Amino acid sequence: MSQTQNKLVIFAVVLALLALVLSLYSVITLQSLASRITDLSNSVAGLKSDIQALSQQIGKAVPTQPAPQQKVKLVVIGPWSGDEAKYFQAVIEAYQRTHPNVEIEYRTMRAEDVAATMPIQFAAGVAPGDVIFGWGWFIAKMGKEGHLVDLTSIIKQDEYVSGILDAVKADGKVWGAPFTMWLKPGFWYRKSFFQKYGLSEPKSYDEFVQLLEKIKSIQGVKNPIASGDGMGWPLSDIVEHFIIAYGGPQMQLNLISGKTRFTDPSVRRVFENYLVPLLQKKYFSEPIEWTTVIPKWWAGEYGLYFMGTWITGMVEDPNDLDFFPLPESKGVVGGADYAFVPKYSKNVDAAVDFLKFLATEGQGVHASVPSGKIPTWTKVPVSQLWKPMQSVYTKITQRGMAILPDLDDSIGGDWQKLFWDQLKLLWVNPGALDSVLKTLESAQPKP
Amino acid sequence: MNKESKIDLLLFLLPPLVVLSIFVIYPIIGTVVLSFISKGTFSLSNYYEVLTESIPLKALILTKLEPTPPWGALIHNAVWILISVPAVVLLGMILAYVLRYVFGSSFVLGTVFLGMVLPGVVSGLVIRFMFDDSIGIFPRIFAVLGVPMLSKTWTIYPQTALLALILGSIWLWLGFSVTLYSAGLDSIPSSMIESALVDGASQWQIFAKIIVPQLRPVTTVVILMTVMWVLKIFDIVYVVTGGGPGGSSTVLAMIMYMYFASSLEYHKAAAVAVILALLTLIPAYWYIRIVLKGERE
Repeated sequence: MSQTQNKLVIFAVVLALLALVLSLYSVITLQSLASRITDLSNSVAGLKSDIQALSQQIGKAVPTQPAPQQKVKLVVIGPWSGDEAKYFQAVIEAYQRTHPNVEIEYRTMRAEDVAATMPIQFAAGVAPGDVIFGWGWFIAKMGKEGHLVDLTSIIKQDEYVSGILDAVKADGKVWGAPFTMWLKPGFWYRKSFFQKYGLSEPKSYDEFVQLLEKIKSIQGVKNPIASGDGMGWPLSDIVEHFIIAYGGPQMQLNLISGKTRFTDPSVRRVFENYLVPLLQKKYFSEPIEWTTVIPKWWAGEYGLYFMGTWITGMVEDPNDLDFFPLPESKGVVGGADYAFVPKYSKNVDAAVDFLKFLATEGQGVHASVPSGKIPTWTKVPVSQLWKPMQSVYTKITQRGMAILPDLDDSIGGDWQKLFWDQLKLLWVNPGALDSVLKTLESAQPKP
Repeated sequence: MNKESKIDLLLFLLPPLVVLSIFVIYPIIGTVVLSFISKGTFSLSNYYEVLTESIPLKALILTKLEPTPPWGALIHNAVWILISVPAVVLLGMILAYVLRYVFGSSFVLGTVFLGMVLPGVVSGLVIRFMFDDSIGIFPRIFAVLGVPMLSKTWTIYPQTALLALILGSIWLWLGFSVTLYSAGLDSIPSSMIESALVDGASQWQIFAKIIVPQLRPVTTVVILMTVMWVLKIFDIVYVVTGGGPGGSSTVLAMIMYMYFASSLEYHKAAAVAVILALLTLIPAYWYIRIVLKGERE
């Protein structure tokens, strides 16, 4: 190597070291600057909310801006795709009929991905959409951190199903607007299948087991109950139904709040006496991707399928569909899809106006198409619901079942993923009950 | 070198240095700094917490070892390396050698290479199907052989989920190995093999005494690249098992994702990223040494 080359190498190394030192300095400076900006924006947000609270106190609620007259484009992000997106599109079209100046682009993004990607974007002061659907716990968290538009003055809380707004409240404010609601009422079956084999809905747990035994003996049936898989939530829905039926609605609420632990003997009894015996006898199938199992169940490979009310919009003939909850159940899990407006939207006023529509009249539109949903806004008459959903709704209300929050959706975070994963383990290895409950308890939030 | 040349060199050097500083050096330093910050102060607590975490979906090492997974992501990665590296090397070398003498070998090579070019998500779905009890080839074979435990859907059982992913990844990476070995075989002078044949050497002797030693540099590269690939593996695990059931198929990158995207604990995610980067640097260092040595020669 010549002397000049040596010098050049030394020069390049010095330059690289200089770049490293500069980068380190800029990292530290930027981080301290970012934290100062966050503090400042939090103070501003605090001041704004104080002004809003003061205005409300003196009886002058902050007026919502009317939708702008000029052309506006909104980006709406929601979890639906395929047919489900088509049903949501009906709501968008209904809004656009009265607001022709608002162009709406719908993009699909799962709630998991919203929760995973948005916090970073919000921290950078940007938002990929103007109206975004997400989990209740996530909305409350983001609202608390000052990233969302406060909807307290937009949502009239007494016009909604009781308790439905709890999930999106934080610091006494409403950060998300409830859209339509799904229910997870029980085991769905084909009426024609039950008629063909002389089967009837059970009236006790023993009758339920007898029914499963009868279905098992039918030629061509692989398992009496199909177990949905995918991310893991279909299994958690089944477990929650057993908890509500044999532990009571209060156990579900106490597990959410953390007052009752998963290792509590009363919780263990529900698993040990009711669910695990059914798993051991192979009444449940192995977990199968939840949408691919629908045609198999419909073709008679499985007799029952535990799913939410959206199943009504996913089968060939919803009139051939019926359901029964576990006979002892006095509650049913229900939950809404929630939407929010990020503070960083470029069209906050138009976004809030559309959100208001979603939370009110838009629900009527969504419930009138085969979405399998019912409104959370109590002003929508039952007669406006899609016909098959009217009978589902009537059956639930006749039984006087309480609507309870979803256990894993309410707790959220990585506990939710742990819950799903541990249940997958339990499904294929019911003998692991103690370890599953212990693992769930160890990560369960404290009250 | 005159002054003008130095200025020219500096001008050429500056743009890549600026780009590298912004897009490579800054994020790396940012991640390292982030990994040491806990509750606003510099400390090692993020590292301590991620290394001692015992929740199956986030554990790097599980202290309670059982005969079947979960064992913790670090051990899963190690097992993955132990199984896939020899398999990729042996199968790659044998396939490349045998296929030279087989009719229609280009079709077989194309099929093997398919795994390399498919996007990770698609490969993941293919692996899911490969091990599904109703349509998968592996459960079908074991059903015929009368092995009930292996004739089920492999990806939903803790005993077989990790193995299914490892076997699937071997198929995916085999294309790379076969391609490198094919190129390596082309570079062996045919006169060596012809001389050996004249001296009465058998095909096995030619393979063991000439081909394998001649392919040693290629083998080193295949081993190092496979180790690096396995350490970074994420997409197929995410698609096929999500790290489950019961955390039996977690890997380092999956744990990093869990901290980052699920629990939103960015500092701990950065700590796992640093651990992962340090582990990847070991084979990367050897790889760079070999490349530089080759260039010098």
